[in-house]
Amino acid sequence: MIYNIYHKTQFNYQSNVTFSHNIARLKPKNTPYQILRDFSMEIQPAVYESHEFVDIFGNTNNHLLIREPHQFLAVTGKSIVEIFPHLIEEHIHNLKSQSITYGKALERLSKFNVNDLDAKQFLFESELIPTHSLSIKQYVLESFHKDRDLFEATYEFMGRIFNDFEFLSGFSDITTPVENIFEAKKGVCQDFAQFAISALRSIGLPAKYMSGYIETLPAKGEKKLFGADASHAWFAVYIPNSGWAEFDPTNNIIPKEQHILLGSGRDYNDISPLKGVVFSSGNSQLSVMVDVRKSDKQDLAELKSNKEIQTQSQQQ
Amino acid sequence: MQIFDGYFSESLFDEVFDRNNDVRDCWKDVLKDIENSGLDALKKKQADIDWHLEDNGVTYNIYDNHDGQISRSWSLDPIPFVIAGEEWESIKKGLQQRAKLFNLILKDLYSEQKLIKENIVPAEVIFGHKGFATEVFDFGNKKNFNLYFYATDIARGPDGKMWVVNDRTQAPSGLGYAIENRLTMNSISQELYPNIVTKKLSSFIEEFKDVLNQLTDGDISTAALLTPGPHNETYFEHAYLSSFLEINMVQGEDLLSKNGSIWLKSLSGLKKINTLLRRVDDRFCDPLELKNDSKLGVAGLVESMRQNNLNMINPIGSAILENIGLNPFMKKISQYFLKEELILPQIATWWCGQKKELDYVLANLNKLIIKKIDRTEKIQVYFGRKLSQEELDNLRVLLLQSPNKYVAQEEIEFSTAPYYFNDKIEPRNAVIRAFCLKKDDEYTVMNGGLVRVSSIKDSLLVSSQKGGTSKDLWILGEDPKNNNPINFFKNTQFIETSIDKIPTPKAENLFWLGRYIARSITTTRLILHIIKKITNFYRYEVATSKESQEILQNALTHMTMTYPGFMDTKNQKTLDRFPMREIASIIKNTTRSGSLAFTISMLSVANINLKDLLAFESWKLFEKMQKEWNEFINRKGDSTLVISSELDKFLIYLMAYKELVKESIFKEQGLILYDIGYKIEDSLLLISKARSILCLKLDKSIGHDVLEGMLNSMESLNAYRAHYKSSLTLENVVDFLILNTQFPKSLKYMTDELLKEFKLLPKAKNYLTTYEEPIVEALSLLKSINLQNDLQIKEEEGIYTELDKVLSNLADLYLECSNEFSNTYFSHYDE
Repeated sequence: MIYNIYHKTQFNYQSNVTFSHNIARLKPKNTPYQILRDFSMEIQPAVYESHEFVDIFGNTNNHLLIREPHQFLAVTGKSIVEIFPHLIEEHIHNLKSQSITYGKALERLSKFNVNDLDAKQFLFESELIPTHSLSIKQYVLESFHKDRDLFEATYEFMGRIFNDFEFLSGFSDITTPVENIFEAKKGVCQDFAQFAISALRSIGLPAKYMSGYIETLPAKGEKKLFGADASHAWFAVYIPNSGWAEFDPTNNIIPKEQHILLGSGRDYNDISPLKGVVFSSGNSQLSVMVDVRKSDKQDLAELKSNKEIQTQSQQQ
Repeated sequence: MQIFDGYFSESLFDEVFDRNNDVRDCWKDVLKDIENSGLDALKKKQADIDWHLEDNGVTYNIYDNHDGQISRSWSLDPIPFVIAGEEWESIKKGLQQRAKLFNLILKDLYSEQKLIKENIVPAEVIFGHKGFATEVFDFGNKKNFNLYFYATDIARGPDGKMWVVNDRTQAPSGLGYAIENRLTMNSISQELYPNIVTKKLSSFIEEFKDVLNQLTDGDISTAALLTPGPHNETYFEHAYLSSFLEINMVQGEDLLSKNGSIWLKSLSGLKKINTLLRRVDDRFCDPLELKNDSKLGVAGLVESMRQNNLNMINPIGSAILENIGLNPFMKKISQYFLKEELILPQIATWWCGQKKELDYVLANLNKLIIKKIDRTEKIQVYFGRKLSQEELDNLRVLLLQSPNKYVAQEEIEFSTAPYYFNDKIEPRNAVIRAFCLKKDDEYTVMNGGLVRVSSIKDSLLVSSQKGGTSKDLWILGEDPKNNNPINFFKNTQFIETSIDKIPTPKAENLFWLGRYIARSITTTRLILHIIKKITNFYRYEVATSKESQEILQNALTHMTMTYPGFMDTKNQKTLDRFPMREIASIIKNTTRSGSLAFTISMLSVANINLKDLLAFESWKLFEKMQKEWNEFINRKGDSTLVISSELDKFLIYLMAYKELVKESIFKEQGLILYDIGYKIEDSLLLISKARSILCLKLDKSIGHDVLEGMLNSMESLNAYRAHYKSSLTLENVVDFLILNTQFPKSLKYMTDELLKEFKLLPKAKNYLTTYEEPIVEALSLLKSINLQNDLQIKEEEGIYTELDKVLSNLADLYLECSNEFSNTYFSHYDE
């Protein structure tokens, strides 16, 4: 299955900017289940210098310096990504069959195991997910008991977020604390992902922020408009002995062939698509345009039968 | 031994007296000298010390919740802390070993992470610590990614050995204070301790310079000390150290990054910096990749490290070593890396992330000290024995919730040393800060250090932040010969005095200071004139004045660019009836660009940024003005008369401030930039006013009124009268304000001066620069003005179109000059 992805991120500045350092992260990751077939990046205005590097989480970063006066900066990533659904199915099958109980997982994580070391980076509070309250811990523990299978428990937990929380754009932005999201039970995909991560970490489980795309389809009879899609976010939990299991609480599904991964990290900040430091007075505004399309037209009909997919974009 | 008769330490170990109350060998000479001199001599020497320190401006800024920041003077005890040469040699070995270990840990954690993978250190101790910088992962194997400078706090335990108390690795402080303490002690020890020989500090500074030389390939001018700025608690030390090490002291805003390197911005251009001795904490060093709201760093700094173009003393990421969670594993680490036993004992520490350890800690909570593993958050220390049952229970909950983040330590009683206080000598706890420097593959330890003494008797907490005093550390013995550079401590301030080297942000602030002062003064004057006209209008019922009033009001809108302002045709009726409403808004509305309040707030920013350059009086004056100004603009319901007298007062303040600025700054320090800014602004405002006032064809009666207004708003009416001795005519006024070659406020005069000043700048060329070109063109335009022709007007026209055209062209030229000037000197855009 092949996707064409168009992802444009643009900063609009109130006044002229003559010098700006930026980091763009728009190049999708290779994973065992997806391969980046082609990638190009366009930058407006022209960059004075750029440098690509891969960070500790395996995400590709592009450091961009702009030195001509500009009032907007637009960075567009165009990717062609191939997804291998059968490999994903296989992976999920393995995860389920090798999954262990929550109690066993905690026991194993409390000890040294060379396979768990990488996952332990995702065990602690991060910039956007600083602390967890007792009430969040109580909420998540309703699904997690010592003898319960970890995969099953997380699946149920995802479903509870889907049912208890209302999808509402405009209520939050990326800086809204997880506690507020939990209190209001409202938010968008980033909020649900970060809430889930906060909750899982509070009970001692490593959890990862997954950033990427999901293809949306227009209502019956309507034509799909270019740029109508949005970037998407979900989470992954680490099951010792088994690996990272992904869950999309916004749509209450386990990501398979509809989800394309851009990158992952401890929270949104580790994989924000564009960040910059400018020397100028006044504010800046971020706008995002995303389009995700399957290359193969035959697959389209199949997707249409799926339930409605929710996503949205968020301003930083 | 009379002086020490009342000296009695309850501590298990006293530095001076052993258990039999005999004086230890290394203290015998010092004690004898003190006994010989007597308490009065100590008192006198303490006064000498205080004077020396104050005279050198030695301060330490203390943060206080109630009063904000207080700068307090540093204090030093006349009694040193003495250590025998042989003992110091063994302590040094311990310090060197610890420094070496920390360097190996640092490099490993940011590369292979073998310590984690081979289960020497639990992953949680690293990943759960806020000092672990994911951004520099993979930098560990870089050649110059090293812990160059390391400080350790050590104190003597009850067993008589020196124990490690704390490790400082990000940006250790204290070296400057240690040097200043030694220099101050030198000045009193000639008399007080004439025969005592101690090791010198100078070789350590010499070696520090060697390290900088090596890192910069011999060009030490490419090294700089990065300071967070004057608000930092140890700012004195930053200035002091940069002067001893003979390197520039810079702030983040003085630097920029491009081509994967760091550059110092100065008036003469960009200069590459390849080594930063930084006093800014890890996360504040780069707003792009680290803490995004930091104003103390440089965007792109981490990228410069990534591209191997920047050496940092110490590297970003060093905060991970300020981690008490490492303590329990140091023994294993030492075995792993060096196959050695730890030389210096550490305080027994339990990391709560392990079940056995946690159980022990919970069972013994009331005897232990509990701390978080990282220093990056507000430090919270719990003394178990001082906690109530409820507090203990709360602490238990914290530990169980996130055990990984806590350690427990044994409470140790440290040794006491004699301290002179209130005319007597009493025992106090003391902690030594020792300094290590990586040179080639080895660590050098300074033969001295900073000793801090607890502020109250029997207190174990020793911290400069919490007050207290300091001591000089004396290592007894001679230095090896030829290891003593003569006259090495050049105590000269390393301040840039040449115009070439003025840092760009400073230069830009000076330029804008000139522009905002000119703008504030001119705006105030025009407003004042208009207000006075309004009050007179009602008072004398002068019918013809209405039209001239409108002309001046429109001129105000044009000049301040507060459109639509008085030209708002939709509101013409209201504006006619209540002109003071609009005027009050132009005075007081801070959010309205072009208003007086807006200009004053911009002026205030420039004033703050130039704090260190301006004289104390100008500061005081500005503070007073700003306070009264804020009261004024936030007040409602002032009568027109009150507003007018307030503005009169502010005009005087502004004029006085302007004079103080001119008086306190040298031309070489950048006064010339202020001058240029002032003249460009004044020229632009003059042209704007001339276009709105002098280009209109008017009846004679109105004409006289507005010409008077024009001159008055420039405080030039008297000068005009003195010069022309005639009544006001348009031709004369234009001639006087635009073309006169002698009158300092005329456009011609200011333009001539600008060209002269441009020649004194670093980027002056023997051809015309981009910012000179428009001014030369302006001059020839001015020359081409022929008033007889330009003031001709056709019957049906209301505007002197020729004059207006020339003035409009002039305005464009001055704006172009200002933009090109900024581009050339402040933006470094073509470098």
